[in-house]
Amino acid sequence: MGTTRNVERRTILKAAGATAATLGLAATTGCGGDSGSSSDGTVTIRYAWWGADDRAKRINQTIALFEKKYPKIKVKTDFQPYTDFWKKFNTQASGGNPPDVFQNAIGFLRKYDSKNVLLDLSAQVKAGNLSMDGFRAGLDKFGEVDGKLLGVPVGSNSMALVIDQPVYTRSGVTPKQGWTWNDFHAAMLKIHQKTGRAGDSGMYGVMYLYDLYLRQNGKAFFTTDGLGFTEADLKDWWTKAEQGLEQGEFADAKKVAQVKPKSAVAAELAAGEFTWDNFTIRYTSEGKSQYRLAPIPTTDGKKTGQYLGSLMLSASKRTKHPKEVAQFINFMVHDPEVAKIMGYDRGIPATQAQYDAFKPTDEVNKSIAAYEESLVASGVLEPITPHPSGADICESAFLRIAEELALGTRSVDDAVKQFFTESKTALTA
Amino acid sequence: MGTTVTHAPALEGLTEDSGPPSGPARLVKPPELKRRLRRENLAGYLFMSPWIAGFLLLTAGPMVASLYFAFTDYNLFDPPKWIGLDNFSEMFGDPRWRHSVKVTLWYVVVGTPLKLLAALGVALLLAQKRRGQAFYRAAFYAPSLIGASVSIAIVWKAIFSDDAVVDQTQQFFGIDAGGWTGDPELIIYSLVALTVWQFGAPMVIFLAGLKQVPRELYEAAEMDGAGTWRRFWNITLPMISPVLFFNVLLETIHSFQIFSSAYIVGGGAGGNACGPADGSMVYTCYLYVQGFENSRMGLASAMAWLLLIAVALVTAVLFWSQKKWVHYEEGAR
Repeated sequence: MGTTRNVERRTILKAAGATAATLGLAATTGCGGDSGSSSDGTVTIRYAWWGADDRAKRINQTIALFEKKYPKIKVKTDFQPYTDFWKKFNTQASGGNPPDVFQNAIGFLRKYDSKNVLLDLSAQVKAGNLSMDGFRAGLDKFGEVDGKLLGVPVGSNSMALVIDQPVYTRSGVTPKQGWTWNDFHAAMLKIHQKTGRAGDSGMYGVMYLYDLYLRQNGKAFFTTDGLGFTEADLKDWWTKAEQGLEQGEFADAKKVAQVKPKSAVAAELAAGEFTWDNFTIRYTSEGKSQYRLAPIPTTDGKKTGQYLGSLMLSASKRTKHPKEVAQFINFMVHDPEVAKIMGYDRGIPATQAQYDAFKPTDEVNKSIAAYEESLVASGVLEPITPHPSGADICESAFLRIAEELALGTRSVDDAVKQFFTESKTALTA
Repeated sequence: MGTTVTHAPALEGLTEDSGPPSGPARLVKPPELKRRLRRENLAGYLFMSPWIAGFLLLTAGPMVASLYFAFTDYNLFDPPKWIGLDNFSEMFGDPRWRHSVKVTLWYVVVGTPLKLLAALGVALLLAQKRRGQAFYRAAFYAPSLIGASVSIAIVWKAIFSDDAVVDQTQQFFGIDAGGWTGDPELIIYSLVALTVWQFGAPMVIFLAGLKQVPRELYEAAEMDGAGTWRRFWNITLPMISPVLFFNVLLETIHSFQIFSSAYIVGGGAGGNACGPADGSMVYTCYLYVQGFENSRMGLASAMAWLLLIAVALVTAVLFWSQKKWVHYEEGAR
């Protein structure tokens, strides 16, 4: 055997080895996170949510707690901001590799159910791995679609008017339960005149608020399979928006666009904003002022059209560990310690046990609790129907087109037409 | 196992067995050599195989798949449904799509020449011998090294936002525009400014081209009394026209593909991904929205292929036009 031969064979072997290694590497990275069981029976599940760093810190603490109580289950986590979260989720889910358990919301239940992504958790309830007892205010029904349990609520929140309290005080405006839209518009103008600040950050693009307005008038944004309002309704809403913009009632859309993702209220462009009540916590960390909650204006002085919204935990239909996933969700929604760690970060805890476990001591959280209690007590709450598939695209189109209207690149008629065209595509796709 | 490795067979084959590759009396290859060559080729392919596998799996495969998806309705979840040319007809009927084409063309037509002008201008300055030349070259080149990064786009957004550096400067001169990134009309200018600022790469190529221009041409022209401008116009420009062509080609293709800067400056994390009122909605941005936000991968694939065809056409036109204005030295073509 000559030396050259030997060298050559080795060269080839090395090359082959390198190739195999590269391919192997590509294969493992291609598959991404491995959720599986190891030889000692330990199971790893993947948990994904959207949110910011503060939420991540709290969630990691709850997971440490969970892993201590369930030593055979390991939890791997992943988080993104809201919009990026769904892009990544879509890609993972379509590649057959979604996280085992993930944060979810009402706008996505039907969408992902129709795409066969969501696990019906009712089997796990029957098996005793997940309890649906002890939920507050009918929240246990929140994640049910067509008789399937597709999500378990972790907290409840409601639309509210988050206000910069000192600015309201300086203007002499005191919002009261049952105030009307006319009262509201007068108040916005008063704030603008007295303080120079716009009263509101631009409510015309907030889909969830428009939904309330429609409900006050006997309609709704979505029916189970489409839009629940007409072009004339929307034209009315956006014409008022245009007038409000001209009068300084709403903040300059150019400036609002530039402070994103910071809110216009925290950036001191507007005295208030319609959003979910638990956002008060975020605004408090973003801004310098004191932020409080005010009631939603009404049409008839009584009905606000409000319902409880909620973040949920859903499981993937493809998970290899439905039992462990159910145990995880069960722990997250029922364990009192979890509530103490999470606070009202994802809304008011959904179960009575967790609700009782966390009693806020700071003003912001206290006002959120008081706000929701007043809603339950006043009996204004209505049930909500899960949004149709494609609702998320309608929502972003609504926001975008309203912004274009505010920036002056679209007329009201044009904006209404564009929204209906895009919604039709989204809801039939 | 052989322990006396002296040299590789490839080297051996070249030095001992084969003569000059194209001598007048070329030797007929002995079978031993043929075998060696074949083995060499085999080793070569094996070494290349990671790249070939990568190319097939990560580039060629997805391209073929995307060509197929371009003719389907594909939402990532349900199996793709063949719809023929519907994606294309939908595109042409979509005002947002037409808007994105307009924004992109504007960006290419305005941004690319400005960038090349900046690159050529600075290259002309830096081609002259002066103190600290190396420092200047590095300093002007630096932005294009870091320019494509997301962090620079974020910095850019901050610079051009409401009440930031640019806005304050404007206010100092009595212009209160309220920041560029929130204005549907102005945001695209901030993207053009960003690309012009990254003129380093074409500048380096221009510099190399300028170094190639023979000095004696200038000397002869000077003796004939040609001024600076005349020398630039009649000597420099024709002599560097191949380099200019290269830069025009590369930068045009590059401009068509603008994405990350538009995506970040135009919003990224908050609300509309394509700037206020679609002000910075370049083609790839809309493609991204359709693909990843609206889960319409079939439509997005069709858009991608149309972009490829458009860029290929523009490239072909540029190649055709070069015959009229690019001067190659005799025999260098």
